[in-house]
Amino acid sequence: MKTIHFNFLTLLFIAISFTSCSNDDDAGTITSPVVTSRAENIPAPQQGGGGQPASGDFTKFSFSTGAVVANDSNDWDIAFRGSTIAINGGQVTGTTDEPARTGTTEAIIVDGTFASITSAPETGYTQDSTTGFSIPTGSGNGWYTYTGPPNHLILPIAGKVIVFKTSNGNYAKVEILSYYKDAPTNPDGTDSRFFTFNYTYNPNVGDRNF
Amino acid sequence: MHSIRLLRMILNKKHTILLLILFLASFTFSQEIKKEVNDSTKTNELEEVIISATRTKRQLSSLPLPAQIISKKEISNTNTVRLSDILNEQTGIITISDFGGGEGVQLQGLDSQYTLILIDGVPLVGRSAGTLDLSRVTVGNIKQIEIVKGASSSLYGSEALGGVINIITETPKNGFNGHLNHRTGTFDTHDTSLGLTYKKNKLAISTHINRYSSEGFDLIEGGTKTVEPFENYTFNPKISYKFNSKTNASLSFRYYLQDQDNVAISNDELLTGDSKLREWNSHLKINHQFNSKWDTYLELYATRYKADEFLNTPDGSSFDSSFFNQLLIRPEARATYTLNDNHQFTGGIGWNHETLDRSFFSTNPTFDSQYVYAQYDGNYFEDLNVIVGARFDNHSEYQSQFSPKLALRYNITHKIAIKGSVGYGYKAPDFRQLYFDFTNSTVGYTVLGYNAVQTRIPELQQQGQINTILVPISNFNDELKPESSVSFNVGFQYTPVSNLKLEANLFRNNISDLIDTRVIASKTNGQNVFSYYNVNKVYTQGAEFNFNWKPFTALKVSGGYQYLIAKDKEVVNDLENGINAFARDPNTLVTVQLQKSDYFGLFNRSKHMANLKIYYDFQKWGLNTNIRTTYRSKYGLSDSNGNGYLDTYDPFVDGYFITDWAINKTLYKHYELGLGIDNVFDFTDPQNISNISGQLFYGKLRIQF
Repeated sequence: MKTIHFNFLTLLFIAISFTSCSNDDDAGTITSPVVTSRAENIPAPQQGGGGQPASGDFTKFSFSTGAVVANDSNDWDIAFRGSTIAINGGQVTGTTDEPARTGTTEAIIVDGTFASITSAPETGYTQDSTTGFSIPTGSGNGWYTYTGPPNHLILPIAGKVIVFKTSNGNYAKVEILSYYKDAPTNPDGTDSRFFTFNYTYNPNVGDRNF
Repeated sequence: MHSIRLLRMILNKKHTILLLILFLASFTFSQEIKKEVNDSTKTNELEEVIISATRTKRQLSSLPLPAQIISKKEISNTNTVRLSDILNEQTGIITISDFGGGEGVQLQGLDSQYTLILIDGVPLVGRSAGTLDLSRVTVGNIKQIEIVKGASSSLYGSEALGGVINIITETPKNGFNGHLNHRTGTFDTHDTSLGLTYKKNKLAISTHINRYSSEGFDLIEGGTKTVEPFENYTFNPKISYKFNSKTNASLSFRYYLQDQDNVAISNDELLTGDSKLREWNSHLKINHQFNSKWDTYLELYATRYKADEFLNTPDGSSFDSSFFNQLLIRPEARATYTLNDNHQFTGGIGWNHETLDRSFFSTNPTFDSQYVYAQYDGNYFEDLNVIVGARFDNHSEYQSQFSPKLALRYNITHKIAIKGSVGYGYKAPDFRQLYFDFTNSTVGYTVLGYNAVQTRIPELQQQGQINTILVPISNFNDELKPESSVSFNVGFQYTPVSNLKLEANLFRNNISDLIDTRVIASKTNGQNVFSYYNVNKVYTQGAEFNFNWKPFTALKVSGGYQYLIAKDKEVVNDLENGINAFARDPNTLVTVQLQKSDYFGLFNRSKHMANLKIYYDFQKWGLNTNIRTTYRSKYGLSDSNGNGYLDTYDPFVDGYFITDWAINKTLYKHYELGLGIDNVFDFTDPQNISNISGQLFYGKLRIQF
């Protein structure tokens, strides 16, 4: 908790100092502060899976509104179904009930603590495509590990921060904290498919700082 | 929860001390009486002889290697019935249960699969998941258990990385002798042994029959039992014949069978079935002594281990079944040439033929390996002993192995000796690591043995099951390398006075090419294909201390302590360089950066292990009693934060003490009554330790005839 708080202040400071700079350059622009929030219990239901073909709608989420958006909305950044994460950029991967990619969102997984990622990388972003998701699926490949028997837990890998460049050109970073409802310290495998994550969204277009 | 456990631990500690004081007090009054007791026990303290260290008879006290003997007396005084129980009380050794319930031994911080288990010098097989279950072995007819620590592949080949445990069975005395032993205790546990031996002139015959059964126990209410009811039998007949003063032959046979209920719950359905084990070993040994210099042995050993399991749904249809059927045949010839008192040469040549028929295998594999070994044991300047040896194993499925060993011992004074040894040890990849072909029916992942990859991946690809290949199959062209280690031991022996013996041993095992699993391809169902590969370099190092004190003939106090560090070198490097050095704070769930000091070490290793044993013999009353306490410090069982290793943010199992107490009384010379409590303070940890059932009361009756 301390870390986040400290981080938030730092960011605020950076944001403010940045604000003062840009005011000199471009008197007309009003920059907004960078916001760090926590999204809790974002449901990600799924039919099938576990060896069977998966189906069901993805739950869409927007960083700018900080909320789940309607299923038919095109105004989303990331979407969740089970342990699979889609981004609103690129092409459909071919899985059933997948949302259409109407935007140009890009993502990259960066190693580090959430606080240590103070600016978004310039390059290296990928989009969803016919060969797979930008955020890879499978244990140890992307954001989680699967513990296998007997507990079959999905645990977010520590030190994986997903950085986004949204369709509107804003930058955001995400650290997934839990795949279980109410983010228990020691999940027992019940009430899965509920995402809790910390995210920082920079509302200033093109500004890579967090 | 934690505080309660801590409190209980402290209480236990206090209780232990209290009990010790009471115990000590109880015999102080008899001390004076003891003083005048004759010295007849002195004659019993003949030099202990060990044969596992050199494959020749050697005085334990003059050996340049770290070794130890558990005597028949210790086994009978502690009323132990299974091998796992008695090994657990030895310094630096702990038995650990694997997920299949088998209890394997951890020695110098190395897993069960790296310690060779022998009965009369020949190996037990049947490691279906790597562990060799030691509760399978009855101790009713054991003369002594020999433990040699440090890599011993120079004599024994594969599996002898951490060391060798050799169970020496009894040899008959003259005439007709026998014993009947029954122990019964908590959980309706019964152990019955009948031993009959006959020896006259040239012929010796013996039979040992054991039955062991239990209703099992349940640590967590609801669901299935922690240990399901079981019963097992061991039959062990042996015959030996001395043709003349120079030639003798022996044939021993062992048959073991166990039946256990197999129960599981899946989707709220109770699944029931059976688990059956069948094992036989037959061992023919011919010894011929040509003259005072040449002594030769010819051995033929064969063993088969079979396990069958099934589970049925309530309506009787099959849910799951598996089988395992391993065969080992080994002829070996061995000779010892004794030049004189100071120089001895030993050599051997042999052949291992192994087959395995197992569910989830891509083939029915056969292993063939030929081996030859030689050893020189020499004494120089009266005080220096040198053992140098090597073995070469040629194998049909993996790289040939050359395993050298060197050991030195120097007696600085007649009270102080220093010894050191360095040796190479290896473990051949097992059948599973090479030929496994298993797809989980409910989750959908696949595990392939190293040698199965090249045929199975293209097949899966054709069936459209493969999404992306992450490790090209050309990487599987070379053979999988055996896991190997170089082990170092430096020891000191100090005998300040004849009734006190102090020993220290420093050890280090550098293990390379450890075999692990990794993802080699992703599947279209979102799951992965795993296979085996050589990866890690790990090390275990530490120090072991032992003391043995006999203040007077009736009292014996012994104790030991092991300090252990066991780490994966790659993790150490990563943490130094800040790679993959993250963990999740269990409270905030936020990632934190780890320092090198946050790495605890390998799973299931305790830094501190200790034991203290006090034996008291009220000879006048035919009564003996003992109290033994073992301690194991905290350890971790699993990674909870996705970095794959154990760090300070992961959950730990608290350290614990186990105290056992036993008392035995001899009646009318031939009867012995015993009583005891194992785990006196009823320690359990249901969440983490499934093989500690809690307090066990028992009674024992032994009839000698």
